[in-house]
Parts: sequence; structure tokens; C-alpha cells
Amino acid sequence: MSNFRALALGSLSVATGLLGWWLIGALGIASSDLLAGPGDVWAALIDILHNGYRDTTLAQNILATLGRCFAGFVAATIIGVPLGLWMGRSRMADASLNFVIQFLRPLPPLSYLVLLILWFGAGDLSKIVLLFMGAFPTITTAAMAGVRHVSAQRIQAARALGASPRQVFRFVVFPAALSTIFTGMRIALAGAFSSVVAAELMAASDGLGWMVFSASRFLRTDVILLGIILLGLFGMALSRALMMIDTRLIHWRGRD
Amino acid sequence: MRPWMATALVASALIAGWLWLTLGGVVRDLFLPPPGELWDAFVDLLQEGYKSRPLWEHIVDSLIRVFVGFGAGAAVGTLLGLLMGYFPTVDALAAPFVEFLRPLPQLAYLVLLIIWLGIGETSKITLLFLAALPVSAVAARDGVRNVSQARIQVARSLGAGKWQIFRHVVFPSALAEIFTGARLAVGIVYGTLIASEIIAGTSGIGWMIVDAGRFLRSDYVFVGILIIGFMGIALDRLLLAVETRLVHWAGKQ
Repeated sequence: MSNFRALALGSLSVATGLLGWWLIGALGIASSDLLAGPGDVWAALIDILHNGYRDTTLAQNILATLGRCFAGFVAATIIGVPLGLWMGRSRMADASLNFVIQFLRPLPPLSYLVLLILWFGAGDLSKIVLLFMGAFPTITTAAMAGVRHVSAQRIQAARALGASPRQVFRFVVFPAALSTIFTGMRIALAGAFSSVVAAELMAASDGLGWMVFSASRFLRTDVILLGIILLGLFGMALSRALMMIDTRLIHWRGRD
Repeated sequence: MRPWMATALVASALIAGWLWLTLGGVVRDLFLPPPGELWDAFVDLLQEGYKSRPLWEHIVDSLIRVFVGFGAGAAVGTLLGLLMGYFPTVDALAAPFVEFLRPLPQLAYLVLLIIWLGIGETSKITLLFLAALPVSAVAARDGVRNVSQARIQVARSLGAGKWQIFRHVVFPSALAEIFTGARLAVGIVYGTLIASEIIAGTSGIGWMIVDAGRFLRSDYVFVGILIIGFMGIALDRLLLAVETRLVHWAGKQ
């Protein structure tokens, strides 16, 4: 199927969905309290753009959510990647740290949010630590696995050609591990984006998640739907962007 | 030094640090309960339960939600994904919705589900269903797409019909990826479950943690976190065991 046909069918399907959504309200199947129509959501968007939502602007809420998400994710990358690389190279580092990381990894971040709020307060710090702790084990494990899966043959070939251990790491191990590291980072960022919204529910005074929860208390389904659509679009944009960086940066993936 | 010694050394350092922080009076029990108190809380929960419900009931409640929501979501999602992989038209029609739903934070639509379906089990299970569906669909679609064309052509040249090719070539080949998707989905569903119990609930392990947190019973919180961690590992192991049983040909092609 050509790209054009796929695009046309996709647009057709989205348009049908929008039409169905509009018809639910227009035919009176559900009251607008329960499901605001597309027109209401558009009006809510214009209103919030002009007047803000409960003393916060839309840009402020978007930046708050994305900022927390990135702060936790970047911290996890900065610490997780070198640590994972080290653990992949050194058995001692692996033995000393891996059990802690493998204990943290399967824990749902929300389960320890209560503790983090107790320790760090209800501000941004507890949320960023939460996102860090959610993303860090995934990234570290990916970096470690990436180093481990580098083919021994290649390392031996480089060594036989006279490469020093540092050169082997720089030119053979690291590039080969990069593709696994990126996969880990993508999974971690998706998780962080999910967790940040959940964290904003527990304690926050801005952010898209906060906006949605605050609107739900007043049964403002127009604002809720607006928030959901924005979160969905940002989520799609984030995963697309990482996908693109991935194919750009690691152009040798799948061509070994 | 042997690797296991390093593990033991770090583990004992962590425990020593924990003892020093708590018994040495550096932090209050409220923030970090000492080991003895943690054990007492665990025994207490086992014997007395939490808020007039035995501990196992909270665990079973959480597990039922996971199994029903995940089971329904993975079944529908896999079916949809297989269709999407097999028929490009279905893919083009469904892809925008699946791609939108997949990265959407699950909790964002929980509030809508609560408005529509109330705060009972229905909204929670629907949430988990919606959390499992897109991941399973994408995994099944990619699984079907990655089936080697050579194999399909071989089957066709041997006279297999469309259904036979699907039944005997495409589906078994895609099964490994379907299971990878299922394990990913279980992880997401499990994380979402805790979140959903936090927002609206009167039972379940996630609810227990948040409720205990509200009363600053950090010993119960810690026990709850440990239970959640071990349940998560057990769930993942269970799926892995089913996978190696069922898809014994994975990675042997």
C-alpha cells in the first residue's frame, strides 16, 4: 500500500472518530457534562490560551510537566549510562551494584512516591527523584546489557590489530552498545512521561496532569479531554523524536 | 576478591547504614523504620490484616484486577495487531488510535473513566484493559510484519491457502514477539494498577500503601512496597515460564 493511501485511510479514520464523538453530543446520547463535544474542547483550548486555567497558563503547565520529565530522565541518563557501561566491563562493579538496581527495576514508581513525598516534601524534588528512580534502573541495565552483547570476535580483532583497551572501548564496545542504550532510554522516557502525570495527581499545583485532575473535580470534561489530547500528542511527539534521533545517530543498527 | 564477596560487602554495608540511621537515632522512625519494626509490621499485617481485611485479600484483589484487565486487553490487542499486520487497510485505519493511546499516560484518562463508570471495579479494569491493548497490538503487528517472506512463499508454493499460511506459518512465527509484548504489557498494567488503586479504592496493595502513607505508617508502606516488588517479579517470571513452554522454538530458527 502506498504511503499516500495509508495517510488518506488514517485521516479518514480519525475524521470518522471525530464525527462519532461529535454525534454522541449532537444526538443527545450522552450529556455534555459526561462527554464534552469537540466544539467544547476547542472552546476550552481558546479560553485557556486567553485566560489560563485557575491562575496557570497553558504554557506553564506544559513546561512544568515536560520539565520534570526531562529533569528526571536526563539525571538518570547522566548517571545510568556510565554506571551501566562500567558494570558491563567490570564483574566487581556488577556484583556490588546490580542487585540493588534489579530490586528497584520492577517496582512501580508510584508505589514509593508516598515515601519520597515524606522524605523530600511535596515539591518538584520528590517528583524528579521519582522519575529518576523509575528511569535509572532501565537505562543502567540497558547499558550493561549492551556492553555484554558486543561480539567477542570484534574485540579480539581490534586487539589483534594493536588497539589499546581504551581504544577498544572507544571504537568497538561503545558504538556497539549504543543501540541497546538508546532502546533503554526510549523505554525509560515513555515510563517517565507516564509517571510524571501520576505524580502530579498526588501533589502539584501545575502541570498537565494537575490540570486534568483539577478539572475532574469540577466535572469539566472539556478541560479533561483537552489535557488528554495534549498529553497524547506530546507523548507521540516524544516517542517520534527519540525514534528519529535513534535512526540518525545509530545508522548502523541492523546492518551488522 | 570474588564477585559474591563484593555483593555481600555492599549488602552488609547497606544494612549497617540502615541500622545506624535508625537505631542510632539519626532519622526518626517516621521516615525510615528500623528492621525490627519492619518485621513487626509484616507479622502484624499477616495476623491482623489492614483495615479489617486480611493481607491476602488485598493481594488477591490486586491480582484479579491485573489478570482480568491484562487478559482482556492483551487478547483484544493481539487480535487487533494480527489483523493490522495481515491487512494493511486495517493497519492504516487503526494505527492513528493505537499510536495515540500507546504513549498516553494511563492516569490521564482514569479521571474520565471514573466520571463515566464510577469508582468501582469497572473503571479500574477498563483502565487496565486500555493500558494493555496498544502495547499488545503493536507487538502482534510487528510480529506478523517480521515473518520472513521466504517462509510464506515456500508455504504458498507448496499449495497452502491464506488461512493455512496464517495458522501454520505467520502465527507461530509472530508468537515470540506477541509474548514479548505481553510481558511489556503486564509491566505497564501492574504499574497502572497501583496508580489506579491510589486514586480510587478501598482495597488492594496499592491502596494499602497510600492509605498507610496518609497516616504516616511508613513501616506498612515499606512492607507494601516489598510485597509489590516481589509480586511484580513473580508475575514476570510466570509469563516467562509460560513463554518458554509455549514458544519453545523462539531463538532456534
